Amino acid sequence: MKRRQFFKTAGGAALLTSSGMCSFLMDLYALSSEENLSKVEARYYKKHPDREIECELCPRFCKLGDKERGYCGVRENIGGDYYTLVYGKPCSLNDDPIEKKPFFHYLPGNRTISVATAGCNVNCKFCQNWEISQVRPEQVQNYDVSPDALVDIAQKYNCPVIAYTYSEPIIFYEYMYDTSVKARRKGIKNVVITGGYINPEPLLELTKVVDAIKVDLKAFSQDFYTSYVKGKLEPVLEAIKIIAQSNVWMEIVYLVIPTLNDSTKELRGVCQWIMKEIGPDVPIHFSRFHPMYLIKNLPSTPISTLEKAHKIALQEGLRYAYIGNVPGHRAESTYCPKCHNTVVQRVGYKIQKSDITAGRCRNCSTPIPGIWS
Amino acid sequence: MALSKVVLVKGKGVLNQNNAIDQRKLLQMYSKGLELLFNSKSPQEGMQHLFKSSDKVGIKINTIGGKNISTRPEVSHSLSNLLVGSGILERNLIIWDRTNRELREAGYRLRTNRNVLKVHGTDTQLPWGGYNPDLISHLNIGSRFSRIQSNFVNSSISLAILKDHGMAGVTAGMKNYFGAIHNPNKYHDTNCDPYVAELFETEPIKKKHKLSILDCLVVQYHRGPSYHPRWAKENETLIFGTDPVATDFVGWHVIEQLRSENGLPSLKEENREPKYLRTAEKMGLGNANLKDITLIEEEI
Repeated sequence: MKRRQFFKTAGGAALLTSSGMCSFLMDLYALSSEENLSKVEARYYKKHPDREIECELCPRFCKLGDKERGYCGVRENIGGDYYTLVYGKPCSLNDDPIEKKPFFHYLPGNRTISVATAGCNVNCKFCQNWEISQVRPEQVQNYDVSPDALVDIAQKYNCPVIAYTYSEPIIFYEYMYDTSVKARRKGIKNVVITGGYINPEPLLELTKVVDAIKVDLKAFSQDFYTSYVKGKLEPVLEAIKIIAQSNVWMEIVYLVIPTLNDSTKELRGVCQWIMKEIGPDVPIHFSRFHPMYLIKNLPSTPISTLEKAHKIALQEGLRYAYIGNVPGHRAESTYCPKCHNTVVQRVGYKIQKSDITAGRCRNCSTPIPGIWS
Repeated sequence: MALSKVVLVKGKGVLNQNNAIDQRKLLQMYSKGLELLFNSKSPQEGMQHLFKSSDKVGIKINTIGGKNISTRPEVSHSLSNLLVGSGILERNLIIWDRTNRELREAGYRLRTNRNVLKVHGTDTQLPWGGYNPDLISHLNIGSRFSRIQSNFVNSSISLAILKDHGMAGVTAGMKNYFGAIHNPNKYHDTNCDPYVAELFETEPIKKKHKLSILDCLVVQYHRGPSYHPRWAKENETLIFGTDPVATDFVGWHVIEQLRSENGLPSLKEENREPKYLRTAEKMGLGNANLKDITLIEEEI
């Protein structure tokens, strides 16, 4: 029996990765990546004369001739039709706590099957997962995991959630969407971890089939997005507003990078914008940066800077501000905004205590927004 | 910066009616071009100005456009024969591009044997295949390089096909090195400027690049880089230069001339002139100005 057949027939007997992240049976079922690409027609594109196409999935609107690929590296014009090369071809598949995403107000304490393909539609100079996000699918080991197989794996491992994460799930939109539809039918939830660089139409459709979205808002200035993300801020803010108006639970992460996006003015600006456009109840996580990828000349974010950001958020009226990547910090936990009871106590990805009943503080019955069970 | 010499050789009849290459004529074009470029008595002697017999030489070709608009096997093999004739050991030569699939589609027969001229893609599973895991960071560039470019060769020839390019304006010898890195898709914004120039300035390329030759036998002068026969002209020309910027600059003007002859707006009018050439000039990589280029045109 060939490896591929084994994996298929095993019905998800392994959790796999080619990214170096933790997993169960690493690389045991690695397939040659050279020929292991999909050819499934992409959604959201326009055909032009002379076999040219225009991708309408993300704000880049890549215009591509025959044989050319988009900025993401995983969608290709083949003879005037546009294809996703990574449908059912993840390069990373792991079992993660939902707190790692991070989601703090969505099914806390649950595990997720976390999946990613190669590729990304931006190029953040501080990317943590650049070895899979900033490569083409041929450059990593991919696996055959159809939407059905992925749902089967989640069921087999009793994971109530599938998380589309690590790289940028928008670029494997079709795979994510179809898996989400199938997962829902089996009672499995779908969560998306994204930079939010997506056009309104596909995002609106996506919000109909997924349950929670975490948006990485990488800064609150266009200069930063130009220099360090290679994208635009405005479409991300628009995406956040669209998600906020949907039925999908949303949390926001802001990675605080010393000297680049950590000024008091910028932090206050982002908090004021969230307060005004979204409201006080969206959780915001100020995460600690560590030197990575193309930014290795800056130190890790001082704890004091993260505490400053946290304080500003509370001052501006945001009720659920957190500090991330600092295990054991007090601001990892959730506090009741009324009585200040610790309603969820966390250390790292672990829940130490939960004091929420039916979505309310057990002490004072104040509703705590989120999906708690 | 000193004047740069660029040689443009037109070989009328190098493409016959079936679009096949007249090998004899092609060789004459190579000979004339290299002799004029190096003021040498023979092309082999010319090559000896650039390469030592112990050099490992990579011929980076461009095969992304498929059979119709790629560096043709006849063109690259003629060059490798000249290099062998100049004293380079056959086993130290490699004709290469990104992937074996693209090479095959462009008509190449892959050769991976250690002791002969090699023809294969970066994606070959050999000690010198794949991408070097070390990330090279330079200005706006952060890339892994093909081990062929970074490890195997110590000298490099860019034998690129000259094409119009929807984003870059022009793709020629410098942009050809986008095929030497793992993430070229990240460098097409803003007309590939400054990325083409900055990539060229990285150590694995700048230190090793010795010669640019533009294959202009057929030039896609509009709607490139894909092949569209309507805008592909049998131009029967090769362009030679050791200044990578000046060589591409001349290539750009070949494209502009063909566009003008066919009633098309200039690349500047379409807001996609290859600005990266000016950037490269500012970075001291070569000349991007006709007054600083000695252009020698020869017809065979």
